[in-house]
Amino acid sequence: MSSWGYVFLAYGIVWSTLLLYLFSLKRRFRRAQREVAQLSSAEELQKHAQK
Amino acid sequence: MKLLRQTYLLLRKDLVLELRRRESLLTMFFFGTLLLFVFHFAFDLVPEKVTEMTPALLWLAFLFTGTLGLTQLFEAERTNHCLDALLLSPMDRGALFLAKTCFNIILMVAVEIVVVPLFWILFNLRSWEAVPLLLGVAFLGTIGFCVLGTLLSGVTLKARARELLLPLVLFPLMVPVILATIRCMEAILRNGNMGDALPWLRLLLGFDVIFVTVGILIFDWTIDV
Amino acid sequence: MQATVPKNRKGYLGALALILVIVGLYWGLIHAPPDAYQGNAQRIMYLHIPSILTAYLSFFLVFVGSCLYLWKREKRDDILAHSAAEIGVLFTALTIVEGSIWGKPTWGVWWTWDARLTLTAILLLIFVGYLMLRSLIEEESRAASAAAILGIIGFLDIPLIHMSVYWWRTLHQPPSILRPDKAPWDNIHPAMLTALAINFVAFILLYFYLLSLRFRLGEMTEEIKTRRMDRGR
Repeated sequence: MSSWGYVFLAYGIVWSTLLLYLFSLKRRFRRAQREVAQLSSAEELQKHAQK
Repeated sequence: MKLLRQTYLLLRKDLVLELRRRESLLTMFFFGTLLLFVFHFAFDLVPEKVTEMTPALLWLAFLFTGTLGLTQLFEAERTNHCLDALLLSPMDRGALFLAKTCFNIILMVAVEIVVVPLFWILFNLRSWEAVPLLLGVAFLGTIGFCVLGTLLSGVTLKARARELLLPLVLFPLMVPVILATIRCMEAILRNGNMGDALPWLRLLLGFDVIFVTVGILIFDWTIDV
Repeated sequence: MQATVPKNRKGYLGALALILVIVGLYWGLIHAPPDAYQGNAQRIMYLHIPSILTAYLSFFLVFVGSCLYLWKREKRDDILAHSAAEIGVLFTALTIVEGSIWGKPTWGVWWTWDARLTLTAILLLIFVGYLMLRSLIEEESRAASAAAILGIIGFLDIPLIHMSVYWWRTLHQPPSILRPDKAPWDNIHPAMLTALAINFVAFILLYFYLLSLRFRLGEMTEEIKTRRMDRGR
């Protein structure tokens, strides 16, 4: 492998890993947001039921 | 000083218990000896090889034996909520830390004092004059090991897979002690004294001082009721 | 849990990071000249040095978070420590991979026990141990305290580990053509230095962007737990 091959290998691995991590963060984020929304609407229902 | 007195009391309790039942001491001693046999088979130790491998083999044996001792460290307190009782008492937690550390050091030193001469006998080493100084260096390394080991043993008390987790977190942190102790031992076996390994000795001492201090300060938060 | 870092600030940070990353890529891959000895493989340095520095920064933040948590017992500090550890593992692992790939054309081997690679490997082990400790302790607050202790001890140990590994490697230098400890600072071309600086800033910005996201995630997870517990009542 020529020098450039190694360079692209390294850069490729680094940036794709970082991108993957970013996407995984966003995905966990969206899931957490959904749960918070679910829990708050359930709380709202409870409050209404108590009134 | 109150701290020392409390430490002494706790230490004496552990020593008395240990002398009566001799669980940890005997297990550690036999395990250490067993390792020497395993090393002999694994490395096919011929006389030429033995001398240069001695420090590494000895320290490896002590590391594994010491880890065994660490997992037993708070065993006595586990039953009957003894640990809770100790923590609720007005005892300075730093004293508990010092006592447990000293207890483990004493166990390990007891094992080392037997295993090192045994090593010399089993592998036909001649350099008996080196043994006292060697044991001295091993003692310093043992302090470092036990200090960190006690801290982490307390921290992992309630963790799952505790017997695996403790070595996993402990060993990387032990790198300076492992390197320093073995380099010092090599110098002793080569020259009979420290010679060029003096910086390593200072590093080892520094390690001990730093983490004994940190340990006393931090142990308060290590064990939660 | 109230967001510590507001959403649009994170957005700006992310955008800025992206710009600098692109500029850094250009400068490192195209603008800077190839090294006189190592050729183009040397360009991996523009990844490697920023990565390891970011990893150390991460560990420092773990230390800060751990100290603050033990002192004030505020959940936020624990989230900071945990987030910094998670991202720290990432950057440390990447550093090792980069170092290894850089090593192949330079020294002919994928791995060598030189000081830098060994140190990075030990750092990775400590980080991983930290995360494992967290995951193996059931109760939340105990896990946080335990991790904080390990974080503090680990950080204090790092200078000692550094010294011991460097001494070990320099005193026992094998008489071979390999000179892995030769720093890339010698005779460095100004364009290379600029490339390094730009990439370094890019990495730091990217790091803080990821950290802010991961931190927010931690806050939300905490909020979910609290709400669940409240509902249970």
